[in-house]
Formats: sequence, C-alpha cells, structure tokens
Amino acid sequence: MNEYASAAVPVRRRALRVGGGLVRAPGLTLSGLLLALVLAWALVPGRFTSQDPLLGVTADRLRPPSGRHPFGTDYLGRDLYSRVVHGAAPSLKATAVAVAVALVAGAVIGTIAGYLGGWIDTALMRVMDVLLAIPGLLLALALVSAIGFGVIHVAIAVAIVSVAGFARVMRAEVLVVRNAMFIDAARGGGARRGRILLTHVVPNAVGPLLALAALDIGSVLLTVSALSFLGFGAAPPAAEWGQLIASGQTYLYAAWWLTTFPGLTIALVVLATNRVARALEATAGPSW
Amino acid sequence: MGPNLGVLETLTAQDPATGKVGPGLASSWTISPDATSFTFHLYDGVTFSDGSPFTADIVKANFENIQKLGPTASNSGAYLAGLTSITAPDQRTVTVAFAKPNIQFLQATSAPALSILSTGSLAGTAADRCTGKIVGTGPFILSSYIPHQNIVLSKRPDYKLAPSTAQHTGAAYLDKIDIRIVSDVTTRTGSLLSGQLDATNAVAPQDEARFDGNGFSVISRTLPGVVLSLYVNEKKTILQDQNVRLAIQKAINRADIVSTLYSPHYKPATSVLSSTTPGYTDFSSQLTYDPITAKRLLDSAGWTVGPDGIRVRGGQKLALDVIFGQPQSLELVQQQLKQVGIQLNLRQLQISQIQPQLVAGNYDLFLGNSSRADPDVLRTLFKQFAIVGSDSPALTAALSKQAESLDPAARQQAVTDAQKIVVSNAHVVPITEFAQVVGQSSKVNGLSFAANSSVRFYDAWLS
Amino acid sequence: MTVLDAGPLARRLAQALFVLWGAFTGAFIALYLLPSDPVTLMLAQRADGPSAVIDPRQAAAIRVEYGFDQPVWRQYLTLLGRAVHGDFGTSVQTRESVSHLVTGALPQTVGLAGAALLIAVPLGVALPVLSACSRHRAVSRLVDSLPAVGVSIPSFWLGILLLQLLSFHWVVFPATGNTGIRSIVLPALTLSLPTAAVIAQVLGRSLRSSLGSAYVELAKAKGASRSWIVFRHALRNASLPAVTVAGLVGGNLLGGAVVIETVFARNGLGQITVNAVTNEDLPVLLGLVVLAAAIFVVTSLVIESVYPLLDPRIRRS
Repeated sequence: MNEYASAAVPVRRRALRVGGGLVRAPGLTLSGLLLALVLAWALVPGRFTSQDPLLGVTADRLRPPSGRHPFGTDYLGRDLYSRVVHGAAPSLKATAVAVAVALVAGAVIGTIAGYLGGWIDTALMRVMDVLLAIPGLLLALALVSAIGFGVIHVAIAVAIVSVAGFARVMRAEVLVVRNAMFIDAARGGGARRGRILLTHVVPNAVGPLLALAALDIGSVLLTVSALSFLGFGAAPPAAEWGQLIASGQTYLYAAWWLTTFPGLTIALVVLATNRVARALEATAGPSW
Repeated sequence: MGPNLGVLETLTAQDPATGKVGPGLASSWTISPDATSFTFHLYDGVTFSDGSPFTADIVKANFENIQKLGPTASNSGAYLAGLTSITAPDQRTVTVAFAKPNIQFLQATSAPALSILSTGSLAGTAADRCTGKIVGTGPFILSSYIPHQNIVLSKRPDYKLAPSTAQHTGAAYLDKIDIRIVSDVTTRTGSLLSGQLDATNAVAPQDEARFDGNGFSVISRTLPGVVLSLYVNEKKTILQDQNVRLAIQKAINRADIVSTLYSPHYKPATSVLSSTTPGYTDFSSQLTYDPITAKRLLDSAGWTVGPDGIRVRGGQKLALDVIFGQPQSLELVQQQLKQVGIQLNLRQLQISQIQPQLVAGNYDLFLGNSSRADPDVLRTLFKQFAIVGSDSPALTAALSKQAESLDPAARQQAVTDAQKIVVSNAHVVPITEFAQVVGQSSKVNGLSFAANSSVRFYDAWLS
Repeated sequence: MTVLDAGPLARRLAQALFVLWGAFTGAFIALYLLPSDPVTLMLAQRADGPSAVIDPRQAAAIRVEYGFDQPVWRQYLTLLGRAVHGDFGTSVQTRESVSHLVTGALPQTVGLAGAALLIAVPLGVALPVLSACSRHRAVSRLVDSLPAVGVSIPSFWLGILLLQLLSFHWVVFPATGNTGIRSIVLPALTLSLPTAAVIAQVLGRSLRSSLGSAYVELAKAKGASRSWIVFRHALRNASLPAVTVAGLVGGNLLGGAVVIETVFARNGLGQITVNAVTNEDLPVLLGLVVLAAAIFVVTSLVIESVYPLLDPRIRRS
C-alpha cells in the first residue's frame, strides 16, 4: 500500500481544497468512506466480523441472507460476509503489488529511455509498444501460465501488463527536463546533469505517475479479479473476491447470493477508486 | 468418465452389474493355467465401417501399435506391460503371452484403451487419431469432431453384432448423436432445463434437485477403482507412525462430506475400492467417524494439544501438507482434521507441478483416485508407482497373488486381504466414492452405463 | 489532394512487423524459459485425470517428440522459422495444428466481438450526445454517471447477473450455446457494456471541451439550436479521439471475450485460451499472443488510414 503513503506528501498542501470538495461532492465523500472501510477490512478483518471465514457449520449451508448471515452462507456453511471481509486482504494486496511494481518498473524504464535516448530509448519504447499491442488480460493469462498460479504471480503478471503506461509518462517527464538541461548545460555545469535530472525529474514526475497509478488501481483490481475468477489466483480455502464469484458460479441455480455480494463489492470498490482517482487527478497536478 | 461413444469396440465386454467379462469382438477365449497366455477366438463376418474385414492380424497390429507407442499411450501401455508375444495363427485366433502371470489382462481387453482400430486408422498418426480420424467396428460412425467443441456420431445401418452387455442386436436406435463439450456445470444444467440438450453427464450435486420429476430425471453409477483418497507418503517420519495415519482415517466424517458437498448418488467410501469394483469388500466398520479414538491415538503417539489447538510433539507441530489438483472436499477435510488437532495445509498445484512433487516425495498426503473396473488397480497404485511409500510385504504378497489367481474365489480372497491390509493400516485414507450422474429429459430412454461408468448410447432411443 | 509517401508507409509496415516479432519473442521468452511442463500434464490427463501418477520415462519421450529437449536458441529459431510460414506447431493437449485450432475458433470470437461492437458504438455515442443535448441538469448528470459505473463492473460478474436474470429467472434468452442469433445476445450485451462505457467517457470528455470552444460560441451567437450545434459541429470534432479509442477497444474486446466466453461456455478463442493456460499448452499460447498482436497491428493500420477521411484538418495538411 505504498502509493497511499507517498501520495499523502504532495497532496497534503491541497488538503484544504480537497476537504472542501468532499462536502460539496457527496459521491466523492461516499467513495472515500467506502475505500477507507475496505482498507480497514484488509488490515483488521477481525474487527468487522466475528465469524470464521474458513470454518463453517455444514448443517447451515447455502442459507440465504439473514440477520445472522447478512450475505448468506456458502456450500460449506461458511459466513459469506466474513469471507468477503477477509477476501479484501488478498484482493487488495494483489492490486497494490501489481500497481506498485508497475509504477517502479515503469519509472525506471522511462527514466533510462528518456535520459539515455538513442537506440536504447527506441528499443525500450518499442518493447512497450509490443506490450500495449496485446490485450491486457490475454497477456496476463499467458504470463500466469508461464510463472505459475497464486496471488503474487497474478500480481506480477498484471504489473508487467500495466508497465508500459508508466514508462511512457516517466519518459515524457524526463524528456522535458532533459531538454531544459541542454540549455543549462550550454551555460556550463554539464557535469551535474545526472544529479539535476534526479532532483528535477523526480518531483515533477511524482504527480503524473501517482495520478496514473490511482487511475490504474480500478482496472488492475478488475484484471486481478478476472484472473482469480478464472481460477489462477489464491489457493482455497483463502478467498479472493474473484474466486468467491467463481466458486459461487456453480451454485447459480441454488444460491444467487454467492455471486451477487462479492460481485457488488468489486464493482463498488472499483467505482469508488475511479471516483477518488479522478478527484486526485484534478487536484494533484497537471495532466500530461 | 465421458461417454462411451460406440465407434470403437473391444475384444471383450464387461458386465457393469456383475463385473464378469463376456464376449465382445471375441466370441470366446482360453487362459493358460499359469495365467500368462490368453487365446481369443474372434467372431466371423465383422467389418469396420469403411467396409474392411475385422481379422486377427488387425488385432495383432493394434496391440503392437500400442506397444510401439508405449510412452504416449499411458493407460493402454500399462495394460500390456510385460507382454512377450502376440501371434495370429489364423484369421480368427489371437494369442497374447506375458512374461509373468497377468490375470488383469482379460478385463483390460474390455477397456476403451484397448479398442480395435481399422488398418486405415492405424496407418494415420496418433495425432490424426486424437483429432478424430478414427474408424472402428462399432454401431456408430464418427461424422465430425472439433476439439473442445463437439462430436457428431451417426448410426451405422449395417451394424449386426452387439457385445454381450447390450440389450439388443443390430443397428443402434438413434440416427444421430450431437455431443457438445461444455465445461461449465451450471451451463450444462441450464442447457438441459431449457431444452437445448436431451441429456448431460456430470450433473453438479446441487443441481440434481432440478431434475427431480418435472420432465427430467437423473441416473447414476459409482465409478469403479480406487475411491477418492488421501495417499499417505510413508517415507515421512510423522506418517510412518500408524497411530497418526489411523487418527487421520478416523477424524474424517465421510457422511458429513457426502451430505454437504455431494448428493445421495455419491457414497462415503467403505473400502479403498469403490463398491462397483469387482472384488470390492465392505470395510465400513473401520471407516466410521470416530474423533474420540482419533484423539486417543494421537495422545498415545505423544502428540499433545498446543495453545492454538494444533498438536505438538517435541516442538514440532502436527501439520501435514496435502497436494492436489482439484479442491472442494479438502476444505471440509481440513476443518474436520482441525477438530482433532491436525493442521492440514492445502497446496493446490498446477497439475503439471504435482508430478515432480510426487517424484521428489515432497508432500505428506496426495489427494487421488484411480478409475478402473478391476482390482488390479491396487497393484498399479502400490507397485508400479511407489508414491505411497509403503513396502508392507503382506500387501505385496496379496497383490501378487491376485494377479496370478485364475480361480475367481482365490483371486477374491487375495483382493479382500489386500483391501484389509490397506484399510486397517491406513496406507491409503479413503474418503468418498465418486459417481457419474447423468441428467436426462423424459424423452430419453435406455441410456445406460458401461462397467467403467461411462455413458452408453447403443440401446438409447428418444420417445 | 494527398500523395502517399512511400517513406511513412514502409516505416509503418516495418513497425508492424517489429511488433509481431516482438510479441513472438516476448511470448517465447516468457513461456519457454520459465518452468512449466505441458508434457507431464498432458500425460496425466490422458491417463486418468489430474490425480493420476505418470511415468517420467513417458514424459521424456514426448519431450523429444515436441523438441522441448533441444537447446533454447534452437527451439526459438525453429519455431520462428515455422511461424514466418504461418505454422505454429501442434497443440500439446489436443495434437491439433495450432493455426487450425485458432482459425477454427476465430469466427466465433470475431462474431461475438462484432455483435458487441454493434451495441457498444451506438450506445457509447448516444449517452454523451444525450447528455449534451439535454437541457435538464439532472438528466445529464445521471447520464454522465453511467459510463463510470459501466467501467467499474467486472464483466464476468455482469455476465453471471444477466444469466441469472434473463436466462434462469425469466427465460428470455438461452443460457449457452453457439447456435442461433438468440444465443449471442447475452454474451454480446455483457461484452458491449464496458466497451460502450469507455467510448462514452472519451467522447463525452472531448464533446464537453469542443462545446466550450470559440466557434461553438459563435454558432450559438448566430442563434443555432443546441442539438444542431452538437450534431453539426461538436460531434464531428469529438469523434476523432473516440475513433482511436474504438480501435483500442477492438483489441480489448478480444481480451474481454476470454472471460465472457468462459462465463457463457461459448466456443471460441477465449475457451481455447483458458484451456491452453490451464494445460500449459505452450504452442497454442504462443500462437494466440501473436494473433492478438496481429489483430492490434491491423486495426491500428486501418484506423490510421481512416483518420484523414474524418478530420479535415489532417486531410488538408
């Protein structure tokens, strides 16, 4: 969850403006609250449900939603609400790892390409073109097939798929500074290029990169869920949201709630993330 | 277990009810007293659907081809293991000889893996055959086959003979069969209910109630062979202790697993072999749910309950790794073992990853089953592949004896002994019997099951 | 009058070929260098399902047959040489030719993607236009919020939801199957909604910015009606980015189809992909990746040639 922590620094200056926006925009407020809730689910699931996500009462299996089981129970009599709450951690972890890896790798590739230029730049950017040429989900599937199943493998595959966007943004930022530096260099002091690059590029690039990261979270969560829906995510009995939907799919005739609640959760979280990301994009820096 | 298409036929046919092997393409046979040599007498006048005659030379060519393919034909290759010669003294007689007594071969000649292909099909590559270019002697002709999609069969009007297991002779009743390959269970249920299909196999247990009356019905048959079991890796120190193995066996509530995840068509395991396997003996008294005894056994083995409910001994946790390809029943087994203080770690692996783990012995338990309508399946499990790590001499003796016994009673005794040794020592922990469950609309009549529980179309008709 | 310059065209084609080669090489590196073992897998399944135990000697023999025992560089050159001639080898799982397998399934998926596009484009254009033409703020705010919802719903869940409602609860459409127009409605609808949402978002954004531009103000001053302005001036300018997006969306429909085909158990590339991933069927995956790249390359080339026809500014320059 690194991007949240680092996002706080440049954003703090604008906290007042954002705060004012929250009151005026109820959708944004709700989105923020929902994200806070889901983050809390991931961090301290025990605070939100007392029921064991892994241990069910088999006699109570496939019960529809009720006061005792707000989301109903699954085929082993496990409380579905508890499984959704505990499912937040693996789902968000995969998303966070994917976005963080893509961000860092993209920034490194973009910096190298933009700073060195020449054939290295061309080669790196053509590789990024290739990545963009293949539908994300298909590429992620092929990668998962090669590196293996599991939450972290899925996250890495999705990260590779999303790296191109970050690399392009970073390269553009580096080029802006580099072009300005040539003017500086003409005035003398070319030896300090590398350091200038770092001190100038990084602060300028953080805003656009984080805005892109925020915008990416939603689609990354969707891709991660799709992969776990297809059965390539966490091993049972752990429950990612996508997996909950997949295991409920065979019970469509017998228990509608098994797919409905996890699906609704994913949709709402993505919606909220996109809403907050757009607000951040509008306040946290110029678009590129 | 998919459908038994009825395109190809076998030398013999196994009766699903009695397990007895009766005539197929061979009208009769003799087995040498030492069970090493099998002579088949073939029916006269049988032809392949391309018009070519069925002869002893073709049988010989088929078996030789399987031997030659060896590596790529795993199942059929195992059936012919130890084969020394195939001779065809005349066009109606084939003799197959083995180096050692091999009574299982008679049942093997009824298995789909030893089906007889025409000379033309044999001349094609294995890849050709896998993509549907096959011609046989059966009542149906393969009209088209698209992998992962569908298979279309059409009736062979001039079909005369029928195996001893069929209800009628002559041509099949159905003119055409369109088999769709649909991997999703809900979809299969929906398609049958909405009338897009007339029948579907592998109905999900939770959907069976949909086919109760209202113009639909369900038929089922238990799969023969080794039931769904935990194969115990006895090379591991913890699991060399029989008390621990037996504790696992007694901590599993098979009835709860069946009622939670399955349906009345599925049965709790009552032996290491399923009840439809020839030679099966009921050992249900040893496979009852008995958590109290399980706890006592673990106590006596020195495993005491730790602070988190999981047992410990000398600082070591009683945690076992189980590897498997497909999940579900294990989540419940995990819950049940936790009740007696055993932690079960589920390691779901990609199917290809399982093999190296098994070879390296890098697991404690392995969830497996092995389907075959002959008790020799136990010998394959314990001898050919040493995955259970058990080298009980008594078991090896019993399994060798059943392979040599021409006398049915003597073979039955040896098979019973083998099951008893496996169950009472918990070399394998049986869980549930699997079933082939077929949903059908009321229009469908006469669908039946072969001995291996695949669906047979030959006697079926639509009203 | 534009005269086609051979330079840029040759450059475009070279780039396109590079993307194809890159996709092939990247996929080869990922698939053939990392540990995966389609052979034992295929044997296990052929023998007795996933729980069977197979003989390592059998596996070794098949590895030789497929050339998996060769040094990696030789495998790469062999495969590349064959791929240039359109031969992607045979599937380890079904032993069918990969090109045959893929081209056999392509029409199903293209049909699905085409049907989805037929729904998505009108819907994606109608929403922002409706919002722009409407005089009621409440209506346009509601309409504006729909695309955001559309891009947030997991498509596989949307499919399940539609199945539950329209196929199981009210039996309007068949749950599955590949036959008839009716069987394609639900999957196409599922695939089209997120696509329409993306188109609506992009078109909406550019429509709003062009509605604020100077010549629109001028037209307003001349007394033109709101709808007339939208249709005559703004939409035409705004359609450019939407055309680009539609091109990208075309490629992504292919990705979406993977999941949707699984949900609706339709035959097509999606099913082949999921089967290939589950079975680590390397030749098939390699073929699929190259096919996806080829579709993208062709779509981009087509869009680039359509571009000048739509935008007078590009045509003139």
